[in-house]
Amino acid sequence: MTSVPSLLLIEDDDAIRTALELSLTRQGHRVATAATGEDGLKLLREQRPDLIVLDVMLPGIDGFEVCRRIRRTDQLPIILLTARSDDIDVVVGLESGADDYVVKPVQGRVLDARIRAVLRRGEREANDAAVFGSLVIDRSAMTVTKDGEDLQLTPTELRLLLELSRRPGQALSRQQLLRLVWEHDYLGDSRLVDACVQRLRAKVEDVPSSPTLIRTVRGVGYRLDTPQ
Amino acid sequence: MTEASDGKRRGPTRRVLAGLRLTSLRLRLVVVFGLVALTAAVSASGIAYWLNREAVLTRTQDAALNDFEEEMQNRAGSLPPRPTQDDLEATAVRMSQSSQRYSVLLIGEDPDGKTVVGNSDLDSFTLTDVPKSLQKAVNEKRPLEKGNKDEYHLFWQRKTDTGGTPFLVGGTRVMGGGPTGYMLKSLEPESEDLGSLAWSLGIATGLALIGAALLAQAAATTVLKPVHRLGVAARRLGEGKLDTRLRVSGTDELAELSRTFNRTAENLEKKVADMSSREESSRRFVADMSHELRTPLTAITAVTEVLEEEADSLDPMIEPAVRLVVSETRRLNDLVENLMEVTRFDAGTARLVLDDVDIADQITACIDTRAWLDAVDLDAERGITARLDPRRLDVVLANLIGNALKHGGSPVRVQVRVDGDDLLIRVRDHGPGIPEEVLPHVFDRFYKASASRPRSEGSGLGLSIALENAHIHGGEITAENSAEGGAVFTLRLPRDASHMVERPAGEDAGEESEESSGVSS
Repeated sequence: MTSVPSLLLIEDDDAIRTALELSLTRQGHRVATAATGEDGLKLLREQRPDLIVLDVMLPGIDGFEVCRRIRRTDQLPIILLTARSDDIDVVVGLESGADDYVVKPVQGRVLDARIRAVLRRGEREANDAAVFGSLVIDRSAMTVTKDGEDLQLTPTELRLLLELSRRPGQALSRQQLLRLVWEHDYLGDSRLVDACVQRLRAKVEDVPSSPTLIRTVRGVGYRLDTPQ
Repeated sequence: MTEASDGKRRGPTRRVLAGLRLTSLRLRLVVVFGLVALTAAVSASGIAYWLNREAVLTRTQDAALNDFEEEMQNRAGSLPPRPTQDDLEATAVRMSQSSQRYSVLLIGEDPDGKTVVGNSDLDSFTLTDVPKSLQKAVNEKRPLEKGNKDEYHLFWQRKTDTGGTPFLVGGTRVMGGGPTGYMLKSLEPESEDLGSLAWSLGIATGLALIGAALLAQAAATTVLKPVHRLGVAARRLGEGKLDTRLRVSGTDELAELSRTFNRTAENLEKKVADMSSREESSRRFVADMSHELRTPLTAITAVTEVLEEEADSLDPMIEPAVRLVVSETRRLNDLVENLMEVTRFDAGTARLVLDDVDIADQITACIDTRAWLDAVDLDAERGITARLDPRRLDVVLANLIGNALKHGGSPVRVQVRVDGDDLLIRVRDHGPGIPEEVLPHVFDRFYKASASRPRSEGSGLGLSIALENAHIHGGEITAENSAEGGAVFTLRLPRDASHMVERPAGEDAGEESEESSGVSS
């Protein structure tokens, strides 16, 4: 609890925005709000929040588009507010780069827990480094370099890579990864892992469609290999 | 699959058999046409033959007998009263040479009082050829009276000889004492003529029969083809292809029937479209409404927590009200969530998100998070894994176990078994069981066992949602009462539900491509 995390809440419905602002403020966050995607993007540039809570259904540019635009320049964590009825929403949301999602009607406590979990992913923990072929994971600086070049990873992607690199060559199930990275209970959505692995592969693999580092273990999950 | 191909293979054979069936319309038409043609031809030929035969025979006979009578008058009558054998013979030969070809036999008494016989043709005609009855009739002398001018009459008889050739035999006596004459005329030419007539008539009858059969076939085909088309169309309609229509041609009864069929199909299609659109709109209404309910609920839910945390410091008069608002908001949340889940199943938009899970772990986690560990007795080996949607399995388990706890009371026994490619999870309680009349309805939506039953905590959708969740995996839930008492719910799920998600490509595409790339690397 070094500093109060600052959040940006983008939600078009006045009642929900007010209620969530109230709830999150009570949980100890600094909350800035925007009613549209455009306003949200503007606020983002001005205020540099630690995390964005983003509603999917927005007038004008929708949540997915906001998410994609943020990801073009920024790796800051994004949590989507979505409706589970639209399962496709979740998939599209994760593909556009969201770190996590919560389903409406959301309880303030649940949202707060998710926010804190996402924010924890960026915290450093050990002072060592691991090398996987051309990939170097510096756990003290929380940076990943490939062929000496810095990779722009979101905290979630970084955490996923760290958890996998901590057990090289060992397969981790999606549920295990959900617990380790997302801090979800036993009912985490395995699509979070799949979407994140895909994004991570796009950044760390030479050829993302035929991965040599992050391998799929059929019937189990994923594992990080040192390429031969 | 096999049934379908069997059916296809059996199809033509069955159609042929149907064509030959005794009750088939085609056969009946052929038989009826045949019978009509046969009756008509046979009666017509019969009458024609009979009339012809009579006419021919009578004419021949009359001519022969008249001639004979004349000859008798002229030639035999001019003989002396007691002719000699030679006289008789000569006369007989002369008589037989008349235009009508017949043999003659003359019998008289010669001057010595001896009976003499004159034959025109000894080989073919002797007295033995003349029937006794005829001889008797010929030689009988009839008294002359008013209605009878002659003492002797001409008698005749038609006979067939041993060879089957018909012949005419006649006889008379010369008036005023003279020889008795007999004649024999073969009717063979006439018989032959009549025979060939009969043949012609028979052939005509046969031709008529064949013609009738062909006509019947043609008629049957013209009738049966539209009937067959109608049958095919009706079957298609029955299979749900409501856009099936028949081509209407002509103005006959079958065309009228086709028109009626088309009208019926059209009405049916309209009705079904109407009904499904009404159903669709009501479904949309529920979906939209639960969607709309969720927005204010999201706001309320977020604030109720604030209220809940402050409840202790509130005025004791207000605190219960706040608690009520909080708990009822939670119920409303569950209800809306369940409603939305149901509308997703109804609309077919529910999707599986598959993962490999350890069943024992999953069940333990499910009862652990709901603080049911003490009330549930779990009998499951570790290491039984399945590929399914963990969230949906959790919904099913929570509903089944929660239901068992609510109505049966603890301990609830949960047993996990592997049965071939399936996973069996039995949830058994120790309550009074489910009344027989309720058993078929336990999975119905909002079904309440009795009006007097206290309002349950559930939404009334729990078991229905559990069942839908089993179905979407390709599984099933059955409810029964255990012999030892208590209700038993058995959940059967395939251990690998992957085949259930192959259709919706959008859902699983990410994972699939990833998996295949992982394998290929």
